[in-house]
Amino acid sequence: MSSGTEHEASPDTLDEPDDVWEVDIEKQIGHDEYDPVGTLSLITVYFLIIAFLWVFMYFVEFLGRGPTVV
Amino acid sequence: MGVFAHEYPNEAGIVRAALASSFVALLLGGVMGLIQALHRTGYVQVIDDSTYYTVLTLHGVSLAILFSIFFLVGFFQWAVTDSLDRPSEDIRFTKLWYALMVLGSIMAAVPILGGFIDQTEISADVLFTFYAPLEAHPLFYAGLAVFIIGTWLAGIDWFRSWWAWKQKNRGEKTPLRTFMVLTTMLMWYLASAGVAIAVIFFLLPWQLGLVGGVNPLLTRTLFWFFGHPVVYFWLMPVYMMWYVILPKLAGGRLFSDPLARIVFVLFLVLSVPTGIHHQYVDPGISEGFKFLAMTNTMFLLLPSLLTAFTVVASIEHGARQRGGSGYFRWLTDLPWNRPAFTGMALAALMFAAAGFSGMVNAGMNFNYLVHNTLWIVGHFHLTVGTAVALSFMASTYWFLPKITGHKVFSKRLGLVQVVVWFIGMVFMSNAMHRIGLAGEPRRTADPFYDGVTFETSLGTISELHAQIALGSVLLVVSLLLFAAHILLSWFNFADKDAPTPDTIPPALSGPEHAPAVLENFRLWTAIAIGLILLTYTLPIAAIVSGNGWFGPVTTFIGDTSSFLTGLFHAVFGVIP
Repeated sequence: MSSGTEHEASPDTLDEPDDVWEVDIEKQIGHDEYDPVGTLSLITVYFLIIAFLWVFMYFVEFLGRGPTVV
Repeated sequence: MGVFAHEYPNEAGIVRAALASSFVALLLGGVMGLIQALHRTGYVQVIDDSTYYTVLTLHGVSLAILFSIFFLVGFFQWAVTDSLDRPSEDIRFTKLWYALMVLGSIMAAVPILGGFIDQTEISADVLFTFYAPLEAHPLFYAGLAVFIIGTWLAGIDWFRSWWAWKQKNRGEKTPLRTFMVLTTMLMWYLASAGVAIAVIFFLLPWQLGLVGGVNPLLTRTLFWFFGHPVVYFWLMPVYMMWYVILPKLAGGRLFSDPLARIVFVLFLVLSVPTGIHHQYVDPGISEGFKFLAMTNTMFLLLPSLLTAFTVVASIEHGARQRGGSGYFRWLTDLPWNRPAFTGMALAALMFAAAGFSGMVNAGMNFNYLVHNTLWIVGHFHLTVGTAVALSFMASTYWFLPKITGHKVFSKRLGLVQVVVWFIGMVFMSNAMHRIGLAGEPRRTADPFYDGVTFETSLGTISELHAQIALGSVLLVVSLLLFAAHILLSWFNFADKDAPTPDTIPPALSGPEHAPAVLENFRLWTAIAIGLILLTYTLPIAAIVSGNGWFGPVTTFIGDTSSFLTGLFHAVFGVIP
């Protein structure tokens, strides 16, 4: 099998010179060592943005207008 | 282990052919988009107002059906062959479905192009949303039917490969990419049944004169039965790219293989019973059914939010493996100099914005604010126009070497191309959303009316029109760059070495952690069918009992159907 997440990658298959897996990996981080706090931060920011936009759309754009002719 | 193009030359040939068809449609549809944007904003008007709808149809059909579906069948063929590590069971069958898709495309394109020629009566100015009462030449509907049958056969082809693989690998989990292809195709079989019934039983007989008319609300409902889930047919391959390719490009590993499988199962189960949310203002459907459709639609946020978490966590894993740290600083440790990564990451960012405008569209009350306005057009230029189109283009920079056997022409050119697309879409889509809020309608050649002014809360309407025009020009510049770049890469003008094979790294939480029930395609399909029946049986029964299957009937077949409908009522009428 030439690729697929279901198989372990062997070092000899990662020899494409511009493949970050070959040139840029500083340390391998396993499942138990990885704590995605950056993801939590980004998703929190996203949630705050859409919550604000929702409130704005409902109270300003929707309730702030008269009946709509669609 | 080698390059896909050398290992599977026949399959790679089909993938190349599908991609070439896709890119022709992309270029054609994109140029039509520029003509429209400049026309309706009033900057450059090279066509008559009446021709605008021919251009709009060509734009919609080329991009929403031909570009997207040709690309995804090519991508899926690679995904199945590569992940199962076996060739097509019968390459003649593979060639057959591709040939049918091409034939269907040509059949549908001829009447659309006929709209440009005054000397002929043949036309199909019915837009991508081709429901009645708009009428197209029968060839248009027949072409669409042939095209869809081609996609069905493609699905059968991939199921055959999977089945043959399964016989030799009993007890093993289906490889992730094939799992994603199969769940997507099961969803597509259910979704496309709606449009197939609309075309084969109603629109085509109507245009061939076999029946006197149709029930417009019925064909609209059947169209949207397909018209909403078709967006997941475009999106699920993109999700596959984001789950499988993007983490690898970032230098990381997919966070969770089982979570990816759950997301695809959720899409199979939830995608189809949502279409009525496009019909919130249709008077012939009760509010209760619309409320049900809204509920189903909101449930669909779940797999998308799961995807947001999993994909971002997988990318962050890459950044941290490459030395990234902090809550946000790791973002600077991502490979932003690589077009495939940057393009897909920007596409995902735009999709996050589209998630919000989608929630507005899906709300029964909010929808009245934006229904039939340019807001909707702004929304789907973020979804299909960026999340899908930009991901397809960006992934091509990673994918093309695998199927041509040589590297892409220039990474820097690729990077410029994806960034220009992003900037162009920021201008165009943002302006479309705001113009929509001001009430300007969509699907019109001339949005300016005597005595009607559109008021925006910030800036003026003419500034926003200028942004649409500027954005559309940037998008077509990006498109031309892409076309030139693909040509240069395809024919290896830079005479680059053959790429060395690369491997997709294993997931942090692998398939061995996935519960066995996820592999039970029959169960998930049965649940999906159950939900569809719950959502659609009563609304369709109400629509048909109100105006019949065919509306006013004057022909033999129509009268026969009227008789059968009467019989149906007589039988079921005794049930309160």
